[in-house]
Amino acid sequence: MTLRCQDVLERLVEGATGSLPPQERSAIIDHLATCARCRDEAAAIEAAAARLREAGRFTTPPGFWPEFMQRLDERIATEQLPVSARLRRWLASPRHAWGTAALTVLATLVIVVTIRLGPARPAAHDPLPTQVRGLVTETMTTTLPSLGEMLETWRAGLTPETDLISDRTKP
Amino acid sequence: MKWKRRIVDTEDRRLLEAFRRGEESAFSALVIKYREGVYRVARRMLGSHEDAADVTQEVFIRVHRALPRFDGRSQLYTWLYRITVNLCLDARSRLSRLPLIPDEGWPERVAGPAIEDEAEGREVSRLVARAVAALPPRQRAMVVLRLYQDLPYQEIARIMGCSEGTVKATMFAALRKLRRALAEEGVRSP
Repeated sequence: MTLRCQDVLERLVEGATGSLPPQERSAIIDHLATCARCRDEAAAIEAAAARLREAGRFTTPPGFWPEFMQRLDERIATEQLPVSARLRRWLASPRHAWGTAALTVLATLVIVVTIRLGPARPAAHDPLPTQVRGLVTETMTTTLPSLGEMLETWRAGLTPETDLISDRTKP
Repeated sequence: MKWKRRIVDTEDRRLLEAFRRGEESAFSALVIKYREGVYRVARRMLGSHEDAADVTQEVFIRVHRALPRFDGRSQLYTWLYRITVNLCLDARSRLSRLPLIPDEGWPERVAGPAIEDEAEGREVSRLVARAVAALPPRQRAMVVLRLYQDLPYQEIARIMGCSEGTVKATMFAALRKLRRALAEEGVRSP
């Protein structure tokens, strides 16, 4: 296929779809008169384009456009409302009824649980003296069978000594 | 044709100015004027009435939002179809896991007085719709805009964001594919 044929074929689509200026159309007709391959291609493309055009137009179901306009007006009106009003409308919409119901149940549960439990209780008093807590190392917690046992040991063994130290520092 | 376009442009401009003055009825007039075209592009692109109706609704919602900022550098219908095609391409990529099977719809046959012609026409319409649906989305958009909306190549190029040459080359490739597909289905020339 020569470049000229390629050019002509590209113009054929314009010809087949009805957008070719008359002077270019006559030049293509001249080429087709001498080139059988382009002629066949032109016939096939024109036939396909004609089939596509003829294949019918889609129409909408009866009553579609009035309903469409109504829905569009509603959506536009909704868009123009402030956020709080849009949220109220969204919650009240039948499409979101389940979501609204679930949200209401959840909110009720949260309120009930909060009221039943009351304010948070204060943390239990830590019986360990601060000085003893400072002496606990990681090795101790891993080697001793339990932290409670270890703390008992330290409480029993170190408390008098610390008392002694504190006594010694007294004048 | 140019004369007709100028009249259309004037009408659009008048409606646009009225809308900017706060006349909502001007927007309704624009919707009534373009809704069929937008719906048909969407229907050809997406294959189903429901999807096309949703996209058409979304197109006009976006137009309503953006119309006050429309600068008029392109024709109003070019802008409208660009929104339509982009929404259809987005919708198509979301629906890409599903096969695109065009529904039967309500094909409107202009010709074909006899009942058997009508039945054959419906079958051909179905086969053609299937062949168009099998095209890649951008090719399909160009075919729809050219063959069904009669838009000039220059406008299609603006809508698709490419050169006029690309549109012509794509149309050529698309028509060749369609020709082959229709021949395989046994659809004869009209």
